[in-house]
Parts: sequence; C-alpha cells; structure tokens
Amino acid sequence: MKKLLVIVIGLVFAMPLMAEEVDRTLDAAPDGEIDVSNIAGTITLIGWSRNQVEVTGTLGRNVKELVFERDGDKVTIQVKVPRKGDRGTNAELTIRVPENSSVNVSGVSADITVEGVRGVQRLQTVSGDVETESFDNDVSAESVSGDVDVEGNKSDTETDIRTVSGDVTLAGGSGIVRAGSVSGGVVIDEGEFSRADLGTVNGDVIFRAGLRKDGRFSAETVNGDVDVEYTGDISARIEIETFNGRIRNCFGPEPQRTSKYTPGLELSFTEGSGDGRVEISTMNGGVSLCKK
Amino acid sequence: MTDINDDKLLQAAAQLDREISPQRDLWPGIAQAMHAPQRAGWAPMFAQAAAVVLLVGASSAITYVAVREPQPQLAQIAPALVFERASFGSNHELGDEFVDARNALVAAMNVELEKLLPTTRADVEANLELIQEAIYEINQALEQEPDNTLLQQRLLSAYREELTLLRRVSGLTRDIMMRNDI
Repeated sequence: MKKLLVIVIGLVFAMPLMAEEVDRTLDAAPDGEIDVSNIAGTITLIGWSRNQVEVTGTLGRNVKELVFERDGDKVTIQVKVPRKGDRGTNAELTIRVPENSSVNVSGVSADITVEGVRGVQRLQTVSGDVETESFDNDVSAESVSGDVDVEGNKSDTETDIRTVSGDVTLAGGSGIVRAGSVSGGVVIDEGEFSRADLGTVNGDVIFRAGLRKDGRFSAETVNGDVDVEYTGDISARIEIETFNGRIRNCFGPEPQRTSKYTPGLELSFTEGSGDGRVEISTMNGGVSLCKK
Repeated sequence: MTDINDDKLLQAAAQLDREISPQRDLWPGIAQAMHAPQRAGWAPMFAQAAAVVLLVGASSAITYVAVREPQPQLAQIAPALVFERASFGSNHELGDEFVDARNALVAAMNVELEKLLPTTRADVEANLELIQEAIYEINQALEQEPDNTLLQQRLLSAYREELTLLRRVSGLTRDIMMRNDI
C-alpha cells in the first residue's frame, strides 16, 4: 500500500515534466488565413478538403500554452514558451488546414513542411529546413541555417526563396522566381519563367528551365559558378561578364578579354530576335551558357 | 645579367615612387562615364547608378528602421564582425550614416544570436565572415582596377547581402520570439 502511494505521488509530480499530447479541432473558413508559430520542433501543414483546422502532436514539458483560436477568417496557432530556458519547449505539430487557406508559418529552431496547401504561403524559420509545394499562389520561404525546397506544379506564381547557409531549390516552378543564398547553391529546375533573379556569394547557381520571349534573367555570384541550360528556344540580348572566370557559350560567339592586363572576360550577343534580357556576372566563378 | 646592367636597373628602381597611389578617385570617373554615350544594350552606368541608389536607399531604410524600433541592449561586437570599409578608387568610403546603421544592426543581431542554438549562431557568424571575406577580396581587386564596373556592382551587392543578413537574423528571431514568449 505504501509502495502504491509512493508511485501515485511520483506520477502526480512527474506529470508536468512529461510531453503533452494534443488533438484539437476548430471550424475554419474554406479560404481563410492560418497563422502558425512554434519556436522549436517541427511544423507540418497538410491541406485537406474539410473546412476545419486540426492540430495534433506533442508539446514539450515546458511549453506553457498552445494558443488555438479563430477570429473571423483567421485561425491562430501559437506555441507559447517561457521567456527564459529552452529545454522542453519543443512542439511537434501536424496541422491539417482547408486546402485553399493562406498560411503564415514561422519558427526559430524548427523545420517547416507544407503539403497540398493551395493558398499564398509565407514560411520562415531561422534554423531549420523549409519544404513546400506551390500551386496557383505565391510562395515566400526563407531560412537562415537550412535548406529551402519548393516543388511547383508549373502554374504561374511568384516564388521568393532564400537562405543563408543552405541550398535553395525550385523544381517545376513557373512565372517569377527570386532565389538567393550566401554559402549555399541555387537550383532552378524545369518550368518556364518570365523573370528569374538569382544570386549567391559563394554558392553555385544552376538554372535548367525555360525563359519566356520577353523574359528577364539575372544571375550574380562572387565566387560561385553559374551554369545555365535553357530548355526551349531563347530570344534575348545576352550579357555575361566575369572578373576572373571562364565563359563557356554553346550559342556560338566567343567571349572577349575585358583588358589585356587582367583575366576578365565579357560576352555580349543577341540570340533570336532579342526580346528578353539575360545578365550574368561573377567575380571569380565560371559561367556556362547552353541550351538543352 | 652584367654588373653594369644591374647598376642601371638599381638606379632606375631607386627613381621609382616608393608608394603608388591610385591615379584618381572613382566617383569623378562614374560621373564622367554617366554622361558618355551609352553602349548598346548593356548599360553598366545605369546599373551602377541603380546600385548606388539602392545602397543609399538601403542605408536610409536601415537607419530609419534602426531608429524607429526600440534599441536592444547593446552587445559587444565580435572583432570578426567589425565593419570592413570599402575603398572605391583612391579614397572613397561609405558614409558614417551607413556605418552607424550597420553597427546598430550588428549589435541587434548579436543580442538575438544569444537566443539561438550554438550551431545556428556559428552558421550565421561563418556566413557573415564569408561575406566580409568577399568584400575584402573585391576591395583588393578594386585597388588594382578602381574603374571596373563589375567589381563595383559586386561590392555593392556584397554590402547589400550583408545588411540583408543582419536584418533578417535579428528581425526574424525577434519577431517570432516576441510572439511566443509569455
């Protein structure tokens, strides 16, 4: 009897130290706004056909509160943690939202994954990866220390993807893309763009996609290479310049030395009827320009 | 080589300047070039002017943000993050306003960095160093070619990149923390 009492008392005192399971649901607008913030852990958003928001997962033992509330068309989900102390403040959340919702998700040490959400997406974390799919609406996704991956469905959208220490990738996107990293690479694979602004400091830029007739393409690096392989025909005025890097051009014209005293090269020519504009410049990186 | 030739060479070398200063400041060159006829298609001077405007704009915006927002408690700036002054041509330097705003952002970022995991902190610092190395490298090249438009553009981009990084790290962390702290 004494032993049992000790166990019961122990369990009562241990309860606040254990992770808490969450399973809560709210009715929501079919195309409302979902605002999520979680300092540490994971945030997984999944679009579904119901007009409800469901939050499942676990809250760390030091999470003070999970705010889950609706105000008009907006649903807010916030993991509240104490101002001091970072142990036990993780929350692993899976959130199902109406598929046409717009989402605004932020984390600090948190990975963000979004699947099947068709509205506008704004995703940001400091230390963590961001992975999402884009449909017919704009996507802005950024991290500081982590990769950012966006999978498009070839609909025209505006995609803004950035990180500092990591790679950014857009596969199957179309429309407008702005992508950048400091030490990581930028990869744009497939799709067709009217505008692409890509830049890194040390990472490589790889673009294997189409540029539309009046499209504008710009790529800048300090020490990274720029590897461009256009799919389909290209019609643009093309300007390439390096301070200390080679230029490989599959379209014909040869690069010229910018000065007889320095290794810099420049290449300037018109392909097709020259409707669009291509500008590539690097300091120490090489440039390759070809057609698939 | 004979002794006579060696002497001549030494005499000639002795007549050379001991310090070589760049022949001229960059900015008059920019102004002159902006009035010169444009090359077809490629407009480096417009790009250059746009970059300068961007830099000035970014500087003003950052100063505004830094002044408008509550100032965080100042943290000591790590020596590795000390501002690397640009020297376009012989003696051009970025203005005090820019340097002050940049230092305010570094201080704000250092406060926020303390809240992050050590690995993230190290990542951010490593990337800032990387940008500063790039700035240093571009400046070195600019000393050799002060009028090189490509280098000028890369330098401005690198400064912009650095300011963006400082602003993003401090802004992101502060905003999210404030929303979730109780």
